[in-house]
Amino acid sequence: MESAFTYTESELVQGLKAKDQKVFGYLYDRYSPALYGVALKVLNDESNANDVLQEVFLKIWRNIDRYDESKGRLFTWMLNITRNSAIDTLRSKAHKMDQKIQDIGDDVHLYTGNLTVHPSVDHLGLSKVLEKLTKEQRIIIDLAYYKGCTQEEISKVLEIPLGTVKTRMRNAIIQLRNLLKLV
Amino acid sequence: MDASRFISSGLIEAYVSGLATSNEIEELERAMAQYPEVRAAVNDCQLDMEQYIILQAKPAPAFIRQNLLQTIADEETARENGTYVETSEFPEETKQTVYVNSAWRWAAAAAILLLLGSVAMNYIFFGQINDYKGRYEALLSAQNTLASESNLYRARMEQMEHTINIFKDPSMKAVRMPGTKPFPTALATVYWNQQSKEVFLMANNLPAPAANKQYQLWAIVDGKPVDMGVLETTNTTELLHKMKSIENAEMFAITLEKKGGSPAPTLDQMYVAGKAS
Repeated sequence: MESAFTYTESELVQGLKAKDQKVFGYLYDRYSPALYGVALKVLNDESNANDVLQEVFLKIWRNIDRYDESKGRLFTWMLNITRNSAIDTLRSKAHKMDQKIQDIGDDVHLYTGNLTVHPSVDHLGLSKVLEKLTKEQRIIIDLAYYKGCTQEEISKVLEIPLGTVKTRMRNAIIQLRNLLKLV
Repeated sequence: MDASRFISSGLIEAYVSGLATSNEIEELERAMAQYPEVRAAVNDCQLDMEQYIILQAKPAPAFIRQNLLQTIADEETARENGTYVETSEFPEETKQTVYVNSAWRWAAAAAILLLLGSVAMNYIFFGQINDYKGRYEALLSAQNTLASESNLYRARMEQMEHTINIFKDPSMKAVRMPGTKPFPTALATVYWNQQSKEVFLMANNLPAPAANKQYQLWAIVDGKPVDMGVLETTNTTELLHKMKSIENAEMFAITLEKKGGSPAPTLDQMYVAGKAS
């Protein structure tokens, strides 16, 4: 489904503002796997992730005028919308802390085994990165980014002092960034 | 904080991972506006985080694309026809709701309940305390009264015991002194210990003297009056009044004298008299 030609980011933004449906199709093809990946990781449920993804793209389409290029890239903006919508859905479904932890636990099994379902991304790269992160480093990043956990919640789940959460997050992300350079 | 401190503080990593609190986000965004190197560091870190996110991409089911394209095509048609209704549903872009840990919420609710309970209890107990305070003070004063009365009774009791012990002494001799002719109803008794020679006087019936007068006891030894002391009337509860001791006496008599006593008895003021043997 990849379009034969590409747009620069500012062309994309202009096209969306002009309500160009072809540009929207291109935007969807280019970014929906990444955004869907986020929704799936947050919700751990395909049906909910489907709903969130549709909602997110409609928000992008209808609210592109609110995007401010000076504040960041378009992809960052779209990721934020996706993450926030998915986490709101997660919370509105009355997910409790236990459920969040359960979800992460399920993901840990995913990391070690079944990684062959995504045809379009570099799984070798992903598994290379993931296997070099410690379990705690993976979990601390995922709890914060994908589950929207606060520092207090992470301190409780990982049974580490509250004051060390940010330091551990920093170390985890530094390690992640080093590994990404090798991919 | 200067730029390098921001970069090493861990705030940037907290920001891109979504861990930062709203205060921390504000702080970092101010630093990004102030220091280009902070902005660059945030951008680099964000790009890497996004790469991690992209690594976990997954194609969405095809029907979603079709649904979306259909929806926006319909919207555009409606817009051209002027029938499009604007839907405003964009609550969150960078909204960060602070969800307080449920344990803390329960703790806060419990704390509020406890506080309200405490206020109510304070009100009730304050009233009760005032009530108890009043009752306590009443009890305290009653107790004090009782204690002082009890002391009084004990003192009297001890006095009585002392008196009885004096009476009980086997060497005690009683000398009854009936009233003289001018005072026939008067009566007094001398208790004279024959061993210790102590003399005690009991006023059985003596009229109360005027304020400037006192009764004086005399012993008659070899026909002459010997002063035995005046009767102190200040302590009315005392039954026996200790007088001066004397070895021998033929008679005892009481006269009414000026206060403090006289060196010689005023004979026409003799109230009682009695023989010692």
